[in-house]
Order: sequence, then structure tokens, then C-alpha cells
Amino acid sequence: MSHISKIEVRIDSLDALKLACHRLGFQFNQNQTTYKWFGRWVGDEPLPEGVSEEELGKCHHAIIVPECEYEIGVVKRESHYILLWDSWYRGGLKKKIGKNAGILKQAYSIEKIRAEARKRSYRITEKRTPQGIRLTLTC
Amino acid sequence: MKQIILDVSDDGEVRIETRGFAGKACLEEAQFIKDLLGKELTRNLTPAYYQDAKKKAKRYLNLCG
Repeated sequence: MSHISKIEVRIDSLDALKLACHRLGFQFNQNQTTYKWFGRWVGDEPLPEGVSEEELGKCHHAIIVPECEYEIGVVKRESHYILLWDSWYRGGLKKKIGKNAGILKQAYSIEKIRAEARKRSYRITEKRTPQGIRLTLTC
Repeated sequence: MKQIILDVSDDGEVRIETRGFAGKACLEEAQFIKDLLGKELTRNLTPAYYQDAKKKAKRYLNLCG
């Protein structure tokens, strides 16, 4: 063992996000400009950093999650994307994608790493662990 | 055997661990993953990091009895 790092994931690849949706059985709707949510901000939770109230409900692409009434908005920022979604329990998303959309971010990270590791000729194994998913890249 | 182990938790957090590398090679080898995913929040170096792969251990002979 040589070093251990923790990484904050930033979504900057639509291709990897599409693969992540496919992995989870979600539908990625390219160029869908609105996403379903409660419809008005009630102020029960702070707005995501850098997002105004007027931006809620608007997006550049959207993700449809089966059995959920609400949808996820994919909003382009300068060089990356942010996910906007309403976590109210009736919308069903929190149950499917977890707190802070962790399940979707997990799938995104895995797909992105796998694609790059293949290019670099690593041998890749994937295993489910109690906390998440473990990828092992062997040179 | 050289390995990069990635634990991606259900809340989206990524933890990278390198095994089998000596010295700074582990940082260089894992850098592409950090560049790929985003920003490194924390880093902990383990004893293997401080081993220089090119240095050989010196042996001393006792010449004075």
C-alpha cells in the first residue's frame, strides 16, 4: 500500500453519464429542457450551490427513473454538469438514487474509470462490497 | 503485483488505494483517476511511499574487530 486518496466526483462526461443511466436502468433524455419536480421551492432545504430559484425545473438534459414521479435535470455549467432533483419522498427519487444522488454518481464513476482503464490496458475486476462497489485495476 | 483499488461508496464517495508501488510511482500511477473524476479531497501517504525504488540498502562490514 502506498497512498490513499479521497476524491470529490465532478460530472463532465455525458457519455459516462449515459452509460451510468444504462447500468442502473434509467433513461437519459437528450435535450429535454424541463424536468418534473414539485413545481415551486418551499425553502425546506437550501438551494444547491450556485443555483437560483428561477433555474429549478429547467435543464439541458433529463434522466427518467422508473417508478418515480419526479425526474433528474442535468444542467450544464461551464465545463461540467450538475444534477438538479427534488428529494421530496412522494417524487420517489431519494429512494432510488440515495442521498445527494450517490447511486447515480457511483455508477458514473465506475463507468468513467472502466472506460479509461480499458484504454490503458489494465485488468479490471468489479465486486460488490457492503459499502459500495470495489474496482481493482491490475497492471 | 501492482494494483489500484477504488472503493466507490453508495453515497458516491471515491477512495483510491494503491498497492505494490514504491515511492512516488503510486501517485503518478493513480493521478489519471483523480484527473478523470474530479478533485482530490484528502491524501494519506503510507510507509511504502517513503521507500525509494531505486535505492539499494547499504551493508557495512565491521573492519575493526
